[in-house]
Parts: sequence; C-alpha cells; structure tokens
Amino acid sequence: MPTPAETSASTGLEPGSFRDPESRVFYADERVYRALSADGLKDFEALEQSGLLGDDRIVATERAQNGAALRGLLVHEPAGVLQHERIPFVSYPYEWTFSMLKDAALVQLDLLLAALDKDLVLKDSTPYNVQFRGARPVFVDVGSFERLREGEPWIGYRQFCMLYLYPLMLQALKGVDFHPWLRGSIDGITPAQMRGVLSFRDRFRKGVFTNVFLHAKLEQRYADRGGEVKQEVKRAGFKKELLVANVRKMRKVVGRLEWSPPEGVWTAYGERNSYTDDDARRKDDFVREVATSRSWDLVWDIGCNNGRYSRIAAEGAGTVVAVDADQGPVELLYRDLRTEGNEQILPLTMNLADPSPGLGWRGLERRPLAERGRPDLVLALALVHHVAISANVPVKEFVDWLASLGSALVIEFPTREDPMVQKLLAPKRDGLHPDYELEYFERVLGEAFEVERSERLESGTRVLYFARPKRG
Amino acid sequence: MTSLFAYLDPGSGSMILQIIAGGLAAVAVTAKLYWNRLLRFLHIKKDEPEATQPEAGSPADSA
Repeated sequence: MPTPAETSASTGLEPGSFRDPESRVFYADERVYRALSADGLKDFEALEQSGLLGDDRIVATERAQNGAALRGLLVHEPAGVLQHERIPFVSYPYEWTFSMLKDAALVQLDLLLAALDKDLVLKDSTPYNVQFRGARPVFVDVGSFERLREGEPWIGYRQFCMLYLYPLMLQALKGVDFHPWLRGSIDGITPAQMRGVLSFRDRFRKGVFTNVFLHAKLEQRYADRGGEVKQEVKRAGFKKELLVANVRKMRKVVGRLEWSPPEGVWTAYGERNSYTDDDARRKDDFVREVATSRSWDLVWDIGCNNGRYSRIAAEGAGTVVAVDADQGPVELLYRDLRTEGNEQILPLTMNLADPSPGLGWRGLERRPLAERGRPDLVLALALVHHVAISANVPVKEFVDWLASLGSALVIEFPTREDPMVQKLLAPKRDGLHPDYELEYFERVLGEAFEVERSERLESGTRVLYFARPKRG
Repeated sequence: MTSLFAYLDPGSGSMILQIIAGGLAAVAVTAKLYWNRLLRFLHIKKDEPEATQPEAGSPADSA
C-alpha cells in the first residue's frame, strides 16, 4: 500500500481541486493522491462495492495508506486517502477539438447512466473531470461519484449544459469556435447567453428548445427561489426513472451534434500520405534520427498540423503533445488517433502566440501550458515564420521562449525566399521584419542553444537544426 | 450531511425544467408538482417548513 509523503502533502496541493468539500487532490513524490472526508470515503466505498471502479473509462485508483498526517487538506480530518494513476499531460476543454469535447461529454453521460444503475450518481458534470491519455478520454474525478439520494434531480444538469452542451452547440449549429468562450469563462456559457446566440430557426433543432430556450426562461422565472423549488421538486416525487430518462435524452441530443472542418482542411490533411518529394523525405529522416536517438519522455510538437512529425516523434517518445492553432487539422488528427486507439499522442488546439494562461481562482486553477510538464524535446517545424511574421513576435523572443523550456529542439527555418514566407510577407510593407533573416536567426539560436547539427533541404529555402539547451 | 443537495447549485429553473422536460417518465411528477401548487393556491394545503433537517432514510444519515 503506497504511503503519501507526509511533509510534501500541503505543498503539493492541486490548486484546481477545492470546490468539492468531500475530496481534495494533492501530489507527493510524483504521485497523485486524493484525500477524502468521512462522507467522501463512504461514497468511495459504495463505488468500490458497485464494481464500477474497475471500468477502464475511470482513472486507475487504489487505496493508499491512511494519511492521518495530512492536516489542513479538508475542513475535518481526512478519513481516507486514494492514489490515482497519473495522466501524462493535463489538458483543458478550451484546448480540445469539437470531437474531444463531445467524446468527453459522452463518457460523462455514460458513466452517469452506469452509476445510476448502481444507485450512485455523479455530483457534478464538468469537463475538467475528464483528461485525455492520447486520444482516449479518462474520467479522473473519482470523488464525483456519490450515493444517490431519493427525490434528487440531476444536480449536474445545469453545469452539463453550460460546459458541454452549449459549447458543442455553438460549434455544431453556429460554426463558432467554443474555445475563446470556455477560456474566458471557467463556468461556461449560461442558458441566457446561449439563447442570445441562437436564432428563431434554431429552436426547431433537436434539444434546443428545451435545453436552451425553456431552460433560460425558467431560470429567469425561478431566480432566487432555490429553497422553495428544491422542496417542491422533492414533494412532487422526483424519481430515479425520471433522472435516467433525462440523462438518456441528453445523450441523444449530444450524440446528434456534429461538426466538421471546412473542405480545404480535409484536402491539406490528406496530403500527408501523398507527400513524397525529396525534401519531405529528408525532413522525415532528420526528425526520426533525433526522435530515436534516445528515449524522450515528453515531446511537444508545436505547429503540428496533420501530426506527421508527431507520429515520427512518437517512435522514440513516451508522450507527444501535438499542438496547432488551427482546430481543423487537429480535429482530423484526433479522429484518426481515436480510430487507431492511440494513447500516446495528445492532440490540442492552441495559438502559441497567445497560449493558455493560468485561469480561475488566483489564476491557479488551470495552469499555463509550460507549467503542466516541461518537454524533453520540442519540434518547431514550419512554425517560426508564422510566429514571427503573422503574429509579429520578434525572432529572438521566440527563440528565447523555446530556450526557457530547457528542452532539446528541432527547429525548421524557412528563409525569406521560401514561397510560404513570401506569401506571409506579401501584404506587409517592404523592409518589415528585418530580423527574419537566416544569418540573424542562426546567431540568436547559437546564443541560446548549442546547435548540434543542421541541414539545408534540397530546395534551398528550408534549414533544419537540432539544438540542445546551453548548460549553466 | 444535512442538506439535500451536493456542493453544486443545481439551479431552480434547471430543476423545474427536468420535471417538465422529462417526457412520459415525467407526466406523473409534473402533474403532482402543479397539483400541489394548486392546492396551496386554494389554501387547501399549507406550505411545509423549509426542510434543512436531515432527510429521513437517506443513506448519508443511516450510515
């Protein structure tokens, strides 16, 4: 039975786990633990007895030795401690693609149905309770399972709408990315806000009238009548069958929501397999040589596009985080990885010129990208010109940021003559971006890194570098 | 564990919605909800006190 280290418990608190008073996550010795209150422990015992705990959609969990020393974690002394399997890289819903959020929603609903079958329930419905191991969603909040109390409606229904259903509807019905909204609002989209976004015609789509329009109306009418309504609902005899019916209906509504990237994205994505010219082959070899030169725990492929190099990197890595600012190709990559059952490559969508910041209470509940696990190797292929020219980030700034990660680096520099660079420069005034020059780039790269090797591709406009961080 | 609900506020409108929108499974419950309201409106039935006391028979209390 593992024992959490006594001293590090208070310092290793997960800052995003404080809303539920019955359980609290903390880290010690690189492991993930959860302290449970007396009630939380009873709920966990009920979960154990139900047989659901062994479900592979739920994070692997075992009891750890009782942490009597873990004072101050909960209001009262913890009654029990659990240890969880560690998810290699934490990600958030505003970094997932449409299908990732949808799959997380379905896991949430299916587990709720499975729980109800055993007279258990999930006390909340937040996508922050789901993490991805590669392309596989894993439900991580074991503390969310509790014993079902009679007369209780679906407590997490409103939260499910705000953080799952409405963001999915926004993307599926309106073609609007949900990411900025989820990133801007930790609680999601309110029913009234969602109603404001939808048109009259949208009411006739499946699930919209009830879950958005009626919901917003009732919320308005019953504002400030919480206690009274609670009693009314109970007296009317809210039954488990009704809860189950509501969850099943929601599952149907979510299951029907679909979104696909624009056609151009499909075309570009498909080119992965037909890309056969010499440059591409040499680039593959360069990346493969570095990737397999040792075993890298965590690789970031930033500007991953269709994931071609994430896949090559995965040959020599534990986990690859594949990031691109464009949701389209990442969505298609996720679908492929899901079909393959890939648990190694985690696809995320994020603009690296404006990466996920710290969010929530004290800015600590959701962590910035780099604080969730430093990479051992970073791939920045066909990226620097986008950051420098499109996002106007000075070349030196970008290289210094890469150096701050402290990892090895494979970077590609397309010269000013490269057709793609020409395209990005075309709308700009002549002479802009004077720092975007090969010679200057090599100088700043050499200042921040030890360049081990470089290779100019056949076409002559693209140069690859493998560099290691400078020591001391 | 004295209160009926968990840490999350289920939202009063959201609770009513679940009754109204429950379809066939909800017909009886919806009828009862509005029947109780009617009785109260006609002063046939009095409001029960706000129950913040323990729920009888709930597993949290019996355990």
